[in-house]
Amino acid sequence: MCRTGDSPDPAGAGGRARTAAAFSALLEDSAEELYESAPCGYLSTLMDGTIAKINRTLLDWLGLEREDVVGSMRFTDLLTVGGKLYHETHFAPLLRMQGELRGIALEIRKAGGGRLPVLVSSVVKYGTEGQPLLIRTTVFDASDRRAYEEELLRRRQDAERARAEAERARAEAEEAHRQAEADRLRLADALAVLQQSLLPEILPVVPGVETAVHYHTASPDQLGGDFYDVFPVDGTRWAFFLGDVCGKGPQAAALTSLTRYTLRAAAHHNPVPAAALTTLNTVLHDRYTAGGDPRYCTCVFGILEPGADGSAAVHLASGGHPPAIVLRADGRAELLPTPGGLLVGILPDAPFVTATATLAPGDTILLYTDGLTEARTGPTRDHLYGEDALLAFAADQAPAAPGEVIEALTDLLRGFGDGLDDDTALLALGVPATPSPTGPATNHSR
Amino acid sequence: MTPLNITHRDAATGPVLHVAGELDYDQAAALRRQVEDVGLGPGQCLTLDLAGLEFCDSTGITVLLAAWQHARSAGADIVLAAVPSSLRRVFTIVGLDQVFNLEAGTDASGA
Repeated sequence: MCRTGDSPDPAGAGGRARTAAAFSALLEDSAEELYESAPCGYLSTLMDGTIAKINRTLLDWLGLEREDVVGSMRFTDLLTVGGKLYHETHFAPLLRMQGELRGIALEIRKAGGGRLPVLVSSVVKYGTEGQPLLIRTTVFDASDRRAYEEELLRRRQDAERARAEAERARAEAEEAHRQAEADRLRLADALAVLQQSLLPEILPVVPGVETAVHYHTASPDQLGGDFYDVFPVDGTRWAFFLGDVCGKGPQAAALTSLTRYTLRAAAHHNPVPAAALTTLNTVLHDRYTAGGDPRYCTCVFGILEPGADGSAAVHLASGGHPPAIVLRADGRAELLPTPGGLLVGILPDAPFVTATATLAPGDTILLYTDGLTEARTGPTRDHLYGEDALLAFAADQAPAAPGEVIEALTDLLRGFGDGLDDDTALLALGVPATPSPTGPATNHSR
Repeated sequence: MTPLNITHRDAATGPVLHVAGELDYDQAAALRRQVEDVGLGPGQCLTLDLAGLEFCDSTGITVLLAAWQHARSAGADIVLAAVPSSLRRVFTIVGLDQVFNLEAGTDASGA
């Protein structure tokens, strides 16, 4: 590194000469000059704090003259109130105990007002007998360091403020989310209550007959358009119906409500299936279709009459509804044809025909809506389940009691997964294979 | 899901709408608008060619019934042509065969 070529290297011959000149200037610098103009404040006090000696640097920082200070002020007079307190309670006792203290942060007061943050180190000078004589103190300007610390503090406060801000935003978002969830739940509750007014909460007990039902709601937020009911019409006969109104949502629900209560009233007036559907047809046509708003439902309506011999007679009419299936005690499954039935509500005069079947012990009749037969199956969901597949499925189950049929079909529906995209209602009524001990109904009107 | 696709042409008997795809709750309104916009005069026949119709739910049937009403109020006739056999079965179950003139096979409107 110390090549002696002709390069103007500062460490070369020229540089060395300049260093030597600087050294001699330092040597000429008197100890007194060094003391007075040092880059830090110097201060010597008696043991009671009276200032005995102070350098120019510190006087400049304080904005005071030497004669104001020496012999008339104490070290603590230079400090702020807080600094004085700290000096009394910590600084002085520690210094007396340890003989020295380093790097204590204090603030000194300037004559023109304002304060200067400083770092103070003190050491006690002892006499030959070990008695304390005086205190030597150095004072470093710590304003840069203080500024740095304040900047750090400010940044930390900024960060904390930002964190609090984020926390508040998060809390607000959570509150909004909670509110939305509460609204959604309230709406879902309201829909559930309405839905219950469209469907019986429980089916009545029909003596000598077992009943089972299942309702699949395609969307919990959407009122369904399928309906069913079972109710007594007199001491010996029971009416039941199941159907599907066109459309979805609140409009479908209004139609369902009108349909359900019209059928109930019609059945009490004249418990003949074709007559009940004719009444419903007139009501729906007058209410909707005649006014240019074609709406309709499909419906199977039946009257069940348990007989003394343990079988039950079923009278059935259908308006535009898929045929019911009867699962026979001998293991067969057959469609129960209800010919000529037209969608209920589209024409002012619609032909409905009552068909009759007998349920022997072990027979079960199944009513369903087309959510079941129009469920999409296959890997690409482009195939409809269909009536043939349902009839084959029923034949596999037969003979089966209503509860077993509904359970098997509920499993089937679950297996469709998202291929089942419509509401589906299932209603099964059957005569138990071993006759019920209660016998036919005599007094079960509600 | 196949989107609904409706094309319109005029035959000697009257307007013909070819309805293809799936006619369900989400798409029925489009056919309803088309039917209402079709110009129909007394004695004409509105033909709905359903050869390409793959699916029709209860909302679709409502639209077909609205078309039937629309044709009758115009003093016109309506025909469902080229009804695929799967749909014919559904239409028969719901009794539409008693309301509409259902024509099977290819387009019978006499293009």
